[in-house]
Amino acid sequence: MKIDSGDTAWVLASAALVMLMTPALGFFYGGLVRRKNVLSTIMHSFFILCLISVQWVLWGYSLAFGPDKFHLIGGLDWVGLNNVGFTPNADYAPTIPHQAFMLFQMMFAVITPALISGAFAERQRFKAFVLFSLLWATFVYDPIAHWVWGAGGWLHNLGALDFAGGTVVHISSGVSALVAALVLGRRLGFGKQKVEPHDATMTVLGAALLWFGWFGFNAGSALGAGALATSAFVVTNTAAAMAALTWMTVSWWHKKQPSVIGAAAGAVAGLVAITPASGFVNVMGAIVIGFGAGVVCYLAIQLRERIKVDDALDVWAVHGIGGTWGALATGLFATVAINSAAANGLFYGNPRQALVQLVAVGAAWGWSIVGTFAILKFVNLIVPLRVHEDEELIGLDLSQHGEPAYASIHAN
Amino acid sequence: MDPTTVMAVVCSVVVFAGWLILPHSPTSIKPVVVSEEREPVRVSA
Repeated sequence: MKIDSGDTAWVLASAALVMLMTPALGFFYGGLVRRKNVLSTIMHSFFILCLISVQWVLWGYSLAFGPDKFHLIGGLDWVGLNNVGFTPNADYAPTIPHQAFMLFQMMFAVITPALISGAFAERQRFKAFVLFSLLWATFVYDPIAHWVWGAGGWLHNLGALDFAGGTVVHISSGVSALVAALVLGRRLGFGKQKVEPHDATMTVLGAALLWFGWFGFNAGSALGAGALATSAFVVTNTAAAMAALTWMTVSWWHKKQPSVIGAAAGAVAGLVAITPASGFVNVMGAIVIGFGAGVVCYLAIQLRERIKVDDALDVWAVHGIGGTWGALATGLFATVAINSAAANGLFYGNPRQALVQLVAVGAAWGWSIVGTFAILKFVNLIVPLRVHEDEELIGLDLSQHGEPAYASIHAN
Repeated sequence: MDPTTVMAVVCSVVVFAGWLILPHSPTSIKPVVVSEEREPVRVSA
């Protein structure tokens, strides 16, 4: 196998783009919380970048992509990147160094647990967050990644299509976020006081940086610089734009004004939804997927509010439901005209693909619920998941990190 | 046109047409409550 310098350059650049998405997420979430918790929120993302970067090279990559064991997990053959060198791996990416593929996948493993942090923002104890993230990455993310993307993984063998992580990243994190929100319980004053974003500009900036990085997330998943990467790039931008326009329109109709934060959230919802489909659909499919994301994710937020679940930053609505819509939509709109190595969806004469996608969605939902619940209960035996009430009242920036985000105008 | 294209056109028309009929200004403006009032900093002459 010959290393292609163009493919390698694109994948390495894409890995850097996806890396940027994690601090971007920190800003997206940070603007949405109250000012007394912004540093804590940003720290969740920044810390996870460090934690999973090490976990991945030690055992995460091996579990997710290593030689298959029972179609369920990758095993420990590649612990410490043993046998993961610079010769391309034919199963995964035949034209780039194996470590380039590993690095690219690392950034997915980093951002996925970071997404969950939005659900328990403003109330989780930092030490509990650290333990939870490490265990979740190992026992929920790595297995699901193996099922869908690993050579020999059972969903991979079934023919499930997930180009860049609708099931592996978004359903797993979104559904886990819902579980975490339910287990941790509501914030003090939830339902009685309205919590306003303390810095909408930070949120919009974060969304824009996420959009930018998502080009690496989706187009980079082509693992080569060519037509497929170009197609993924085009549909990613189209779906994000359409979802933002749709969300703005829906919120304009519902709340009588177009919401700026709604536009940002809509763009993210579109990016989530197009993620699994980005290497399989054409631009018309992307428009429909973006439209659908703008509608269903907005409705999911209304539902979440109605049933009074305190998923603080709507991770379930945007990622869980957006990822579910995108994964199912892949089974509708996939066409071999875009990716001859894949399969057609329902609207291109292959109804079986829609059923396969349903199985993949169900598996991701199921393992995320079971795994996350078990891990949260286990962590709670070692350290309380929530901060004390007085710590929550003074804010996590001070109570967990001893640092305010913004200097007081009254400080000497 | 294939079904996907038809759906895409319908979605686009719904969104673009929606802007034509949605209100162009709010029906009422709600006062914003400032949660932190700051005292002006005294500047010495």
